[in-house]
Amino acid sequence: MTSNGHSVNGKADSKPDPNKVMVDPAAARQSMSRLQSIFRDIALTAEESFRNRCPYKNAQSSCTAKFGCRYQHFTENPSALPVCTGSDKLDYRSAWETDA
Amino acid sequence: MPIVNEGLLSEFEWVTKPGERKHIGDALELADELMQEIAYKLIIGKHLEVDRLTKEALESGYTANHILDHGLLNGMAIVGVKFRDNVIFVPEVLVAARAMKAGMAHIEPILSASGVEPIGTVIMGTVKGDLHDIGKNLCIMMLRGAGFVVHDLGVDTSPEEFADAVVEHGAQVIGMSALLTTTMPNMGRTISYFEDIGMRDEVRVMVGGAPVTRDFADEMGADGYGENAVECVDTAHELLQLLKELGSSR
Repeated sequence: MTSNGHSVNGKADSKPDPNKVMVDPAAARQSMSRLQSIFRDIALTAEESFRNRCPYKNAQSSCTAKFGCRYQHFTENPSALPVCTGSDKLDYRSAWETDA
Repeated sequence: MPIVNEGLLSEFEWVTKPGERKHIGDALELADELMQEIAYKLIIGKHLEVDRLTKEALESGYTANHILDHGLLNGMAIVGVKFRDNVIFVPEVLVAARAMKAGMAHIEPILSASGVEPIGTVIMGTVKGDLHDIGKNLCIMMLRGAGFVVHDLGVDTSPEEFADAVVEHGAQVIGMSALLTTTMPNMGRTISYFEDIGMRDEVRVMVGGAPVTRDFADEMGADGYGENAVECVDTAHELLQLLKELGSSR
């Protein structure tokens, strides 16, 4: 058992009431700080990627936008996302439909 | 223990830089089967699975610290690497962030009860007439990661909806996003609405979005402006601090 009342495999020693489970606040703050650092890197990468790739285009080159875009190509499958036919070299923003 | 989850093992193959591979690999070796499963489900964005597994882990005696470190954070670390290396893109990251949120919904009350309180409450939304949400969603991900409670009103949000949410959740800050020059003025209209109903002094307002500038933010009477998701968090911190100082001087 560790100093904060947890066994070494991360399990508390008896079945816990989730509201009463002991937490090491210092360790939790450290974990949140690590999470923030991961998110910060992601946000900075996103900022960079917005310059040459539409942010709504996923890894399968499908469009996840909830609005129209002239680069959307709908397939015969009605439940499938439209395919993005835009080139990453073009300004994608001018293709977005602007009416809500 | 070695990585026994086949899906996670396959995801770990995307981590190729030697230092990073050792760092993440060492962390994954501290994760047992259940934690590895949580990490894997988070990476592939299965929020319902992460929700269920996190709940199960807590009920079976895992501590919040352990689940956060060995399940959720291990998964998010691999998501970050895949995004940086162009294996996945913003939509996949946001799906993973939603899975992270599902797990954190069980962890946060425990952290809070142990003295790790949320920093503040923020209402976020894209303004009326605007359906763009990527920038806003990245800001929300960042704010949650920084310890804020965030209520997302989605897109096409009216001034009334912002005000109702502030009252309902006791929020100190609202964040408005617009991506279109045609909808940007609706940020100013929302601020005017808060003035009209006598709530302007109760909240601080931050704005952002591709066409929004600091000058425009000042002109419409916003309290803060963020050029990107990282600045959004810094701005939210500053506005909260400002509210505290105002409160203590009253």
